[in-house]
Amino acid sequence: MKLAAVDYVILAVYFAFVIGIGWMLRKRMSTSGDFLLSGRSIPVWITSLAFIAANLGAQELIGMAASGAKYGIMTAHFYWVGAIPAIVFMGLFMMPFYYGSKARSVPEYLKLRFDEKTRGFNALTFAVMTVFSSGISMYALGLLLHLVLGWDFNISVLASAAIVLAYTYLGGLTSAIYNEVLQFFLIVAGFAPLAILSCERAGGWQGIVSRLPANMTHSWHYMGNASDNPMGVEVFGMVAGLGFVLSFGYWCTNFLVVQRAMAAENMSAARRTPLIGAIPKMFLPFIVILPGIAAVALAHMTGAGGAHLYELPTKLVDGVVVKDYDQVLTTLMSKFYPAGLLGVGLTGLMASFMSGMAGNVTAFNTVFTYDIYQSYIKKDAPDSHYLMVGKMTTIVGVLLSIGAAYVATMYNNIMDLLQLVFGFVNAPLFGTFLLGMFWKRSTGHGAFWGLLSGTSAAFLTWALTVAEGKGGIFGSLHTFPSTMAQNFWIAIMAFVTCVVITTVVSLATTPRPDREMEGLVYGLTKIRHEEGVKWYQRPALLAVIVLVLVIVLNIWFA
Amino acid sequence: MLDLRLPSGLFFVILGAIVLAVGLVQPDLRAPLMDVNVNLYSGVAMLLFGGFLLLMARRAARK
Repeated sequence: MKLAAVDYVILAVYFAFVIGIGWMLRKRMSTSGDFLLSGRSIPVWITSLAFIAANLGAQELIGMAASGAKYGIMTAHFYWVGAIPAIVFMGLFMMPFYYGSKARSVPEYLKLRFDEKTRGFNALTFAVMTVFSSGISMYALGLLLHLVLGWDFNISVLASAAIVLAYTYLGGLTSAIYNEVLQFFLIVAGFAPLAILSCERAGGWQGIVSRLPANMTHSWHYMGNASDNPMGVEVFGMVAGLGFVLSFGYWCTNFLVVQRAMAAENMSAARRTPLIGAIPKMFLPFIVILPGIAAVALAHMTGAGGAHLYELPTKLVDGVVVKDYDQVLTTLMSKFYPAGLLGVGLTGLMASFMSGMAGNVTAFNTVFTYDIYQSYIKKDAPDSHYLMVGKMTTIVGVLLSIGAAYVATMYNNIMDLLQLVFGFVNAPLFGTFLLGMFWKRSTGHGAFWGLLSGTSAAFLTWALTVAEGKGGIFGSLHTFPSTMAQNFWIAIMAFVTCVVITTVVSLATTPRPDREMEGLVYGLTKIRHEEGVKWYQRPALLAVIVLVLVIVLNIWFA
Repeated sequence: MLDLRLPSGLFFVILGAIVLAVGLVQPDLRAPLMDVNVNLYSGVAMLLFGGFLLLMARRAARK
């Protein structure tokens, strides 16, 4: 793919705007709260879009198009099953505790509700995880830009990191959130035309259905048996593993997304943030997954002269030619976009990378400053000191991400392993929060040992089962039809273990007095009814609308 | 507080103008699988979106 001068101009305009937004916000950064928490003052439409955009990194864009080509419309389960219900739950039931407790981060909530060791465990694993995930996505982007455009890996990695650093350093979380909204618009502007054009060319949805195997164009119909569908997953594993444990674990407890809602201007806005964000979120599959599905249909079609309209990209692995689905998105862009729009699409890809990375960096600096530095290193400094630490941590976070990106270039397999390890850490977390928020009898010791044993259970499940030749280092008790099915079941085992151990240990340890937990636990918290809020702004009504819409989508593409 | 609609509106007006200009100056520019002047349409769409954001920002500033 070759870019024209106009494409570079578009890219340059975009870079100027993201840094310009950081520059305009720099004067507002006078306390650590302004810098790390946005002073809780952002309008709800902005936090809602940022809530979605922080999760929409380059890896998601590339990966969703890739999965669309590999698994078909079932990929939409990651949105309609694996995101929306959890987002609704978080807005309705969890946000009152996060926002109302005045905690500044998710680990800090754990400290208020449970104890120091539970917070420490969560803060440390989260900090390490954010650095590596932003490093891994930086690596993925650098590799893709090198492959598609021939750009130098070092320059594209360092330059994009420098831009993210510039605007997050200048304007902190506010700047990251503002830019995430701009980036969200740009992602839509850059990829919606691709979805429309590729789908149109493939003969519309009916044309796609007629050219693809039926199990790629139905999201539920072939889920009764794992061997009938391309994902190799059955209904229970999908709903319980992805739809319940993994998605609730991510959307309800991951500070990266929770932080966006916590920056809203008041409780009502904080609760509406995930609910409003859910609406664009459920329609994203039509932009990010549909092009991948259309690509498969195009590969079945022939044009003048009998040549295929499109060939699925391939790569060599150990001397064997295999499909390289990660290149579907970019090759499709080069087939449909002339100079001009191509620049917009490419800028959209860069924007998605930046929104993902800035999300990680701003979550990292908050957790490090408040939950690690202020808790364990220097407790009673004036606020200006923590503002300085927050700014320095922003730089360190970017440097560590760059380091992680280079680790990834050297040890590709280690990255696979790390992502697996993060899965182990995340999977049981929702169990801890569920019991913490809704069962006042659960204790700090219970939470800590529950988390630890849940993580171990995840590891053991992985070590004792095999899928696609992976896992099973301690032997093989069960073979899964796909690694995806294995992941879902690892999550289920981790969650169940965490809940059981937390419950047992809690019952065996002394409970905390009720008065210490006001505002932190359901039943001891007065959730104020939305006084003075207009009827259409009520969270419950919004939640019902979102759920009805997502059910309609599920049935439509069943 | 900076009204985000202002910079993002401005961004899309500029972006739309650039893409629209390409569509007007080089109306025959095509991609392998595309046989309409897609720059023209998407340029207009982005211009309208940017204009809408600017209009909203202006209405909010007047209040």
